[in-house]
Amino acid sequence: MMNTMADALSGWGLWIALVGACLGTYFCRAIGVLLSNSINQESEIFRWLAAVTYAMVAALTVRLIVMPLGLMATVPLWIRILICALAIGVMISKPTKRLVPALLTGTLLMVGYGVIR
Amino acid sequence: MSSTDQPYIDPSEIALEGCAAERFKSPNNAFWAGIRDAAGAPAMVLFAGMVGFGAMGKTNGFDVWFTTFTSFFMFALPGQVVLLEMAITGSSVVAIALAVTLTSTRFITMTVTLFPQFHQKDRNRSLYASVHLLAMTAWAISMKEFHAIETKHRLAYFVGLGLLCWLISIPGTILGFYLAGMVPPAVTLGLVFINPLFFLLTFTEVKPWINRIALMLGCIFGPIFFIVDRDTSLLTSGLVAGTMAYLIDRKFLRKRAGVIG
Repeated sequence: MMNTMADALSGWGLWIALVGACLGTYFCRAIGVLLSNSINQESEIFRWLAAVTYAMVAALTVRLIVMPLGLMATVPLWIRILICALAIGVMISKPTKRLVPALLTGTLLMVGYGVIR
Repeated sequence: MSSTDQPYIDPSEIALEGCAAERFKSPNNAFWAGIRDAAGAPAMVLFAGMVGFGAMGKTNGFDVWFTTFTSFFMFALPGQVVLLEMAITGSSVVAIALAVTLTSTRFITMTVTLFPQFHQKDRNRSLYASVHLLAMTAWAISMKEFHAIETKHRLAYFVGLGLLCWLISIPGTILGFYLAGMVPPAVTLGLVFINPLFFLLTFTEVKPWINRIALMLGCIFGPIFFIVDRDTSLLTSGLVAGTMAYLIDRKFLRKRAGVIG
């Protein structure tokens, strides 16, 4: 916020950084395709990689909820966790076709908190 | 080694194809079902995330082209945020490329766990194009739905799902860019919150115990490794928590009857 734009990358440097970021991201996707050709979905390595992937996704998710940056960090942690718990409650009350209602419950509660605070 | 490609048929896939119900009549049918399934929660989540990203680009002084190109060519929200943050603080181009690549390593294992579930005839070079449509949203939905879809229709379903998610992110970014500063903070809170909430909710639908344990351990180790080193934390917490879950499954769970392996 208080960064002087003199520090920031600009001009060509910025676009080269974008190209580098795009190539790096696509590289990861392409390596995945290459490796997937030699992996059988019944194998032990497949089970291990699936567990690793779920753990990575969980780590990313919990980080966004527990240790967020910016505006979300101004919401008390217990409010964030309480809203998550309520949304999960809606979700598991009837697991099929409850994703959208649960998502709306959580999001609207968060918007509601933002309005009343 | 690709020249040694043999047209072998995986026996496990024949069995799967036999028992999965005739859910779709044709690949075309599966493609549109993918679009329809994307049109609910996944599109909503991605759109909200990209609106937030577009607003972030505007408020930090980037132009609309740069912000939109990022969504179009990277299509990986956590990496996009890292790119902007590091560009704002004036990191070097090499450091940015490395940090973004590290946050994208999850795509390697996501692809490796999703793509072997396609039919053998679909597993060719065209997957190098389809893989760009892979993001956490499409991955989470596909991992849940694939067991109920015939192998020969899975690719068409995935492309429908991923394509709408990718295409919706472009107008989302542009809208966010031009709405920046006009949206009340309460709405911004909702936009930021909907993404992690979606993933949290999809976790409740994960059935195999090995993956449930991996999720729980990932939730514990994620913040710990994030404090130790931010850039590598996803990779390290994934490897540690995932390997522990795998070993717990292998040592204890598999021997017990009635546990979904």
